[in-house]
Amino acid sequence: MKTLRWAARALLRAPLRAALLVGVLGVSIGLALIMITVDGAFDERLDEIQSEVGTTLTVQPAGSFGGGFILRGGFGPGAGGGPNAPNAGDTADGADTDADAGQATLTDEAAEAIASIEHVTDYARTITALYSGDELVAGTVERPGNSPFAGNLPEGGRPILILVTGTDDPTELSSLGVQNAEITSGRTFEVDEGEANVAVIGEGLAEANGLVVGDTFSVNEAEVEVVGIYTSGTQFGDNAMFLPLDTARALFDREGEVDAISVRVDTAENVSATAEAIRETLGEDVADVTTQEATFDAISAPLADAADSSRIGMIAALIASAAIILFSVAIVARQRIKEIGILKAIGASNWHVVGQMTLETAFVAVIAAVIGALATFPLAQTVANGLVSDPTIQVGGFGRPGGGAAVQAVDGPGSNLLGEVDVAVSPEVFGYALAIALGLALVATLIPAWYVGRVKPAEVLRYE
Amino acid sequence: MSNTAVATSSGAAVLEDVVKHFKSGSDTVHAVDGVSVAIPRGKLVALKGPSGCGKSTLLNLLGALDRPDSGRIVVDGADVSGLSGAAEVAYRRDKVGFVFQMFNLMPYLSAIENVMLPMELRGEPNAQGRRTLAESLLSRVKLAPDRHRRRPTRLSGGEQQRVAIARALANDPSLILADEPTANLDSTTGEQIVGLLRSLASDDRTVLIATHDNSIARQADLVVTMRDGKLVGRDEG
Repeated sequence: MKTLRWAARALLRAPLRAALLVGVLGVSIGLALIMITVDGAFDERLDEIQSEVGTTLTVQPAGSFGGGFILRGGFGPGAGGGPNAPNAGDTADGADTDADAGQATLTDEAAEAIASIEHVTDYARTITALYSGDELVAGTVERPGNSPFAGNLPEGGRPILILVTGTDDPTELSSLGVQNAEITSGRTFEVDEGEANVAVIGEGLAEANGLVVGDTFSVNEAEVEVVGIYTSGTQFGDNAMFLPLDTARALFDREGEVDAISVRVDTAENVSATAEAIRETLGEDVADVTTQEATFDAISAPLADAADSSRIGMIAALIASAAIILFSVAIVARQRIKEIGILKAIGASNWHVVGQMTLETAFVAVIAAVIGALATFPLAQTVANGLVSDPTIQVGGFGRPGGGAAVQAVDGPGSNLLGEVDVAVSPEVFGYALAIALGLALVATLIPAWYVGRVKPAEVLRYE
Repeated sequence: MSNTAVATSSGAAVLEDVVKHFKSGSDTVHAVDGVSVAIPRGKLVALKGPSGCGKSTLLNLLGALDRPDSGRIVVDGADVSGLSGAAEVAYRRDKVGFVFQMFNLMPYLSAIENVMLPMELRGEPNAQGRRTLAESLLSRVKLAPDRHRRRPTRLSGGEQQRVAIARALANDPSLILADEPTANLDSTTGEQIVGLLRSLASDDRTVLIATHDNSIARQADLVVTMRDGKLVGRDEG
C-alpha cells in the first residue's frame, strides 16, 4: 500500500505529464475496449442471425419459382385470380376458380413426413394466390417523380394485383413474409383462428377499399373481418392480404395443398443433413429444398465486415497502447535516471527500481483503463453503428429469390441490421480493462528492466 | 606519501594499489592512479584535494558504486572490489551510507520517508519500528520535528543535508562516505554539518569526507591528500 502511495506521489510530481499520459493511454485503451465490446456484439448478433436464419430451410414443389401463384399458372389462365385477373378469363362471378389442377403442389402429408425427420423442430405451411376479383379494389403503384420509368405508368398509377398468403404460422407478424412489416392497427392472428375468416391487410389495400380494423369485406363470396392492418414501407408489400392457411385454402379452393413449407432445424449444423433427409424423403422430383446459406451470407456480410474492422481496430488500439506506454516509460526512465542512480546507490536492487517503475506504470494504466472502460458505455453503440456499412439491408420479402411465402420464415434479422446489433456493455468490460492495463504494465517493464540494469550509479551521480 | 601497499589489518577500509581510469574521447583520465591507503576505524577522515583530483571516484570505489580497473579494496575484512549482483546491492545497503553534495533525496518522499527508505530496501518488516528509528535519527541530526513530514522541496539546504545524513545512518553502516557535503551550504550550516558528521565517527563507524575545504580538513582525525589521482599526503589530525 505504501509503495502504491509512493508510486502515486512519484507520478504527481509531474501532474501534467501524468495527466497527458493517462489521457492518451485512456483513449487507446478505451478504443480497444470499445472494439472488443463491439466485436463481441457483432459475433453475438451473427450467431443470432445464424441461429434464426441458418436453421431454416424451405421446401417447395420441384421446379417452382416465385411462390404458388406463379407455380399455379402465374398470370395466365388458371391463375388464382378472379374475373379481373389478367387473362383469368374463366370466371364471371368473381369467384376464384383455381382451375389448374395439373400444377404440382406439396401436400399436408409431405409436411407431416418432414415433421417426422430428425432435427426438425417446427414447420410452417403457406399457400399463395393472386386475387383479382371485383370485391376488392387493388392499390396502385404510383409514378415515382424522378424515375426514368415513370412515363410507363399512367396518371394515378397502375393497379397492383392483390397477393394473398395463407399461413398456418400466423401468430407473429414476422411470419407474414413481409419484411419490416409493422402492425399499425389491430393485431395479427390468434392461435385459435386457424379456420376463421379473418385477415391482416396492408395499408395500401385498406386505403383503397376504405377498410379499418373491425370492418368486413368479401373475398370469393365469403365475409372476412379485418383484424389487423400493417405497413411494410413498400407499395407492393402494402397491397397484400394474409389469411389463416385453412381459410385461404377454403376461399381459393385449394384444400390440402401447400405451396411452400418453411422448416426449422434444431441447430445450424444440422441444416444440410436435414435438407438432404427431406430430399430423400420427398424425392427430388417432388420437392426442391433450399437452405438459407445465401441469405445468411447476404445478411451477415456487412456485420462480418464490421466485425473484421472492429478486430483490426482492437489490435491497432492495443498496439498503440503498448507503443504509448513503452515510449512513455522509456522517456520517464531517462528523465529519472538520477533518481534511479540514487536508489541504486543507497541499496536498491535493479528489480526494486524496476518494480517501482512498473507499479507507477500500472497505476497510470489502471486509471487510463478505468477511464477507457467508462467511455465504452456511451460510445460502443455509436462505434458499432458507424462500422456497419449498410444498416438497412433488406432480405426476403417480395423481391427475393423464391419470394413470397417461400421464405417467409426468414425474417427479422435482415430487416434492419443496425437496430438489431445491440451493443450491451457489461461490467465485464472492467475486467478486460484491468487485464489490458496489467498486460501493458508488464510490457512496459521491458524498457526499465533493460535500462535500469545499465544505469551505473557512479556515472549517473557524476554527470547528471 | 607512498602509493605502495600500506594495508593494515586494523583499518576499516584498506585500498591496495587501486587504479581507475576513464575514457574521455581519445584521452584517458587517470582518476585514481595506484592508490594504497588504510582508513582507520572509528575516525573522521578527510580526503582533501582540488576538484578533479579523484576524491569522488575514490569514494565511489569504496562505496561499490564503481569498480576499480585493478587493485583491491577491503572494507571490514571483505573484498568489495569485485562485488556484483546481490552481494554488491547488500554491501551498498548495509555497509556504507552515502552523503552527497546535492543531497539526492527522493523528491516525492517526506523527510521521514526518505530516512525509512533504506530500511525498507533492507526488508525491515516492522513499519512502526522503521518509523520510530527514522524519527530518532532525524532527532539525532537535529531536524526539527515539524520538518519530519515535509518533502525535500520544503526544506532548506542544511535541513536536506541533515535528512541525507539520517538516511545514510538508517541501516547503521560502518562506513559513511560524504562527498563534499558542505559545498552547497553556507559556512555556518556547513560547520554544523561537519560537526554532525564528526559526532558520528565512533568506535564502530568511520566517516570519510571528500572535501577541498581546509577548514573541514582541520577537524578530521586524519587528512589524506590527493592530486592527479595519486595520494600525496597523509596527516594525522
